[in-house]
Amino acid sequence: MAAPGSCALWSYCGRGWSRAMRGCQLLGLRSSWPGDLLSARLLSQEKRAAETHFGFETVSEEEKGGKVYQVFESVAKKYDVMNDMMSLGIHRVWKDLLLWKMHPLPGTQLLDVAGGTGLAWVLGDAEELPFDDDKFDIYTIAFGIRNVTHIDQALQEAHRVLKPGGRFLCLEFSQVNNPLISRLYDLYSFQVIPVLGEVIAGDWKSYQYLVESIRRFPSQEEFKDMIEDAGFHKVTYESLTSGIVAIHSGFKL
Amino acid sequence: MATLLRPVLRRLCGLPGLQRPAAEMPLRARSDGAGPLYSHHLPTSPLQKGLLAAGSAAMALYNPYRHDMVAVLGETTGHRTLKVLRDQMRRDPEGAQILQERPRISTSTLDLGKLQSLPEGSLGREYLRFLDVNRVSPDTRAPTRFVDDEELAYVIQRYREVHDMLHTLLGMPTNILGEIVVKWFEAVQTGLPMCILGAFFGPIRLGAQSLQVLVSELIPWAVQNGRRAPCVLNLYYERRWEQSLRALREELGITAPPMHVQGLA
Repeated sequence: MAAPGSCALWSYCGRGWSRAMRGCQLLGLRSSWPGDLLSARLLSQEKRAAETHFGFETVSEEEKGGKVYQVFESVAKKYDVMNDMMSLGIHRVWKDLLLWKMHPLPGTQLLDVAGGTGLAWVLGDAEELPFDDDKFDIYTIAFGIRNVTHIDQALQEAHRVLKPGGRFLCLEFSQVNNPLISRLYDLYSFQVIPVLGEVIAGDWKSYQYLVESIRRFPSQEEFKDMIEDAGFHKVTYESLTSGIVAIHSGFKL
Repeated sequence: MATLLRPVLRRLCGLPGLQRPAAEMPLRARSDGAGPLYSHHLPTSPLQKGLLAAGSAAMALYNPYRHDMVAVLGETTGHRTLKVLRDQMRRDPEGAQILQERPRISTSTLDLGKLQSLPEGSLGREYLRFLDVNRVSPDTRAPTRFVDDEELAYVIQRYREVHDMLHTLLGMPTNILGEIVVKWFEAVQTGLPMCILGAFFGPIRLGAQSLQVLVSELIPWAVQNGRRAPCVLNLYYERRWEQSLRALREELGITAPPMHVQGLA
């Protein structure tokens, strides 16, 4: 990265997003499934019998939200440590690249959904955001959309709360494009990561869920189509680290 | 390390094609093909067991409060030894009954009221006193997860639940010195790698004075008693609550400890 200000960006990793956003109106959104149970129930009335995946397991759509909530309750304490351990710190580089792409300016109204640790935050549900239409310049979601039960609804909500001209940016695990790296990545994911989870956090199952949920997420092209279906234009993506992660971008016109 | 990696590497090189459903890809499977054998069972590959063993050992040393890591270490390194222990239990009449009936020691299976009413000096009463004085509960033992055989999973669970009995039999408190002494006894009795590792690495955090007492008096005593006593896993403790602790110690050849350990460490 040779762009001016990139040295400053390097130090704004993970937790330091708020510093990078100096001057921007930044809101992070944390998930609140139990709190939003009423609205979630109304939404899912017709879909009660529908099933979905939870990693490699099959669960009802109603269950999934609760199960994901439990996973994140469990991993919250050691979240940053584990991310560093699992990705050998590379997740900070990915997040820096996202920030660089976003190039936020003073005055930018930015919504970061599934905000993790740090930031000033509001509790809400990605499938039903507690904000008015046309409010934000940028909507970001990093390593969060994978865990949402109805990704299409989250995308529609993203579209709704963005101002015309606003940008949607998503950083998420994706499909590896190189066969050899794919096998090494699978080996590392399934053999090492749950072990790290057990040793560092005393939690094998949450990290098993993590690596399985990554495999369940659509490919770069499929996700691009989903973003377009939600009404976004000029949808593009950029694969990073051989496709282990990808940054998808789209605009509301 | 090579033996751990070999089956994994074989699969790595031998796999044809890219697009296969998740369930088919061995590298993606949760296990080597076997499903869970008992509740809480997490099937693991040899590589995962190796990584778990190394990781749990390191973490247990780094943070001695991670008792869960000691348990994981025991489970991932104990398979061969557990087989020996299980076979030896089968050959003993009392041990065989334990394997058959699979008694568990927890607050739900123990009749604490009944134990309280037993005479002073009985195993049951003294065990209860040990729990009270040291403020421990039999319910803190986590279930077995990484042993790939359901009978052996019970054996290691039994070993864990019997640990407090050993404290009672040996008259050792639950401070670090007491735990090390019990570990030495267990190492000699069971041969479990985790006990041996715990016995040798446990003392690392001790001060010079405690270390001196440990090495010169306590360890020799623990080792001697461990060798002399028959296997403690063969005792059906739940049927011996009324037995006098002194009589049980005589039966096992366990002598009084060389000194009172409470004040040390």
